[in-house]
Amino acid sequence: MQSVVVLFVMSLIVFSMINLVGDPVDMLVNPESLPDEIERVRRDFGLDQPVYIQYWKFLTGALSGDLGNSFVFGRPALTLMAERFPATLELAVSALIIAVMIGLPLGVYAGLRPDGLGARFIMGLSVLGISIPTFWLGLMMIILFSVILGWLPVSGRGETAVFLGIESSMFTLDGLKHLAMPATNLALFKIAMVMRLARAGTTEVMAQDFIRFARAKGLSSRRIVRAHLMPNILIPIVTVLGIEFGTLIAFATVTESIFAWPGLGKLVIDAIVNLDRPIVVAYLLFVVALFLVLNLVVDIIYAVLDPRVRLQGDEG
Amino acid sequence: MTGNKILSIQGLRTEFPTPHGPIVAVNGVDLEVARGEVLGIVGESGSGKTVLGLSAMGLIDLPGKVTAGRILFGGQDLTRHTEAQWQAIRGKRMAMVFQDPTTSLNPVQRIGAQMIEALQAHRDISKDAAKRIVLEAMVRVGINSPEERLLSYPHQFSGGMRQRVVIATALLNEPDLIIADEPTTALDVTVQAQILRDVRRLCQDAGTALIWVSHDLGVVAQIAHRVAVMYAGRIVEQGITNRLLKTPSHPYTAGLIASMPTNAKRGERLRSIPGGLPQLSNLPVGCAFAPRCAQASAACDVLPELVSTSAEHAVRCVSPLNEAA
Ligand SMILES: Nc1ncnc2c1ncn2[C@@H]1O[C@H](COP(=O)(O)OP(=O)(O)O)[C@@H](O)[C@H]1O
Ligand SMILES: [Mg+2]
Repeated sequence: MQSVVVLFVMSLIVFSMINLVGDPVDMLVNPESLPDEIERVRRDFGLDQPVYIQYWKFLTGALSGDLGNSFVFGRPALTLMAERFPATLELAVSALIIAVMIGLPLGVYAGLRPDGLGARFIMGLSVLGISIPTFWLGLMMIILFSVILGWLPVSGRGETAVFLGIESSMFTLDGLKHLAMPATNLALFKIAMVMRLARAGTTEVMAQDFIRFARAKGLSSRRIVRAHLMPNILIPIVTVLGIEFGTLIAFATVTESIFAWPGLGKLVIDAIVNLDRPIVVAYLLFVVALFLVLNLVVDIIYAVLDPRVRLQGDEG
Repeated sequence: MTGNKILSIQGLRTEFPTPHGPIVAVNGVDLEVARGEVLGIVGESGSGKTVLGLSAMGLIDLPGKVTAGRILFGGQDLTRHTEAQWQAIRGKRMAMVFQDPTTSLNPVQRIGAQMIEALQAHRDISKDAAKRIVLEAMVRVGINSPEERLLSYPHQFSGGMRQRVVIATALLNEPDLIIADEPTTALDVTVQAQILRDVRRLCQDAGTALIWVSHDLGVVAQIAHRVAVMYAGRIVEQGITNRLLKTPSHPYTAGLIASMPTNAKRGERLRSIPGGLPQLSNLPVGCAFAPRCAQASAACDVLPELVSTSAEHAVRCVSPLNEAA
């Protein structure tokens, strides 16, 4: 119920904001067109009516699953988004995987030897990762890896292949080459975040009595890290990452623009430039809905991972 | 008798460096435990009992360090051991039980897995075989319906039950020695008495030597053959439990006895020793107890040695009580 209210308020805000920004008709017609031509376009798109009527039409449409047609493409906004979504999802998932694969081991390492030189270096890197602007780093990556070294392609998604019914560029070499830079770029902030979470969790958990008891049992350090440290630090990390997945999709707009990645983010940036209201509204509603769903999913994952939460639920 | 010693600690010193100088938590401790014997270690909180136990297990974390002395266990000097050699001994030949059962177990791992891994760390044994041994061990420490309990998580157990799980785990590999660091302090009095009795019985049956650490002389008196009294990182007196309780030689031991609730006469207030522990990073040159001691004199400015007064008794005091005894 709460989620429905959030979505409704959101749509209202987006709808009124975008009307303040400018007149979409200016973007849709040739500036040299005759006034009656402009009027015709305005009527065709229903833009001659008062805003509240437009909103009412949008709302009734939305309730039946129709978010309107793109002014620019003339096709349903939802269809356009559905076409672009796999590319963004692929980018976000790759970024998430990179963030965990790099951030987790480095963070745990730093947490296990908090005073070591390695730990200080790693934490220095994480500060860098958090403070470097994504777009600047993206451009630097392009200059280094594409322009100077010529190793990686500058833009686009590359070849895709179908594996287990999923079409993705993760499954071809060309696709992976295209994916490498944008995914790393998008992951940068999250690598730093995972690193910090993992380090904080590790120092906290390693000081616990149960770790000492595990050592008193004669377990090897490797076993202690794997069986006792990891399950305990993963609970907060997975929870935070679940929520952060939404921001990965949202922040993909910047990365997608830099690397011309044909995903949702690029679609919406273009839509904003063209004042293509149905797309912008649909996108923002989608992002809000995504966060709402992720919150729910995270609650469920948390309960699955943490027996203390799970069993309380069982009893209650 | 000496061939019968399972553990012999000699001149052990454990320090924690701080910016204001090192904290000497264990300060030249000599200790012996015979096979199958129960040794009690008592002393106020902060006197170094836990650090002593952890040192014997090789579990002192950096920057803390054992800086002097030897730990002879089954004839080997453990202070020279590598981490891999320590791992082979910990949990296998020497086990430890900690004070707080609510934090000794991993909250997100099932009880069964935590016990089975203790076996598998030391033996090439299948999961099923390990499980059978674990079930037997659970029954022995008085855990009902152990099959079900294997799949439980620690938070589903009471504190007493968790400590039973920890004790069962410590006993799994039939160690020669168990160091129990105030294992009942955090529990109800009734549970405390039951666990005390069970541990004594289990160690007796298995011939396991036991070091029972407590700040409560009354608890130690119920279980230990011999008692060592610790003060500010040093052993100040040790001897056979009955003799020590009846005729203490060190004024500190006498003070501990006087402050036992069972020794208070009806209507009389509990007598506790005035004052507190000295700062371990800045100990007095002489006897560390002298500032709190009614018998203190100028002679106490020189640190007394731990002197044997008989085969089974030693005291670190220039003017011990009950000289005649
Ligand atoms: N990791 C540590 N770092 C610094 N000081 C410590 C550490 N562990 C114990 N100590 C100090 O050693 C002294 C003895 O502590 P402890 O052995 O826990 O006493 P007890 O178990 O007799 O209550 C205390 O003063 C304590 O502050
Ligand atoms: Mg203690």
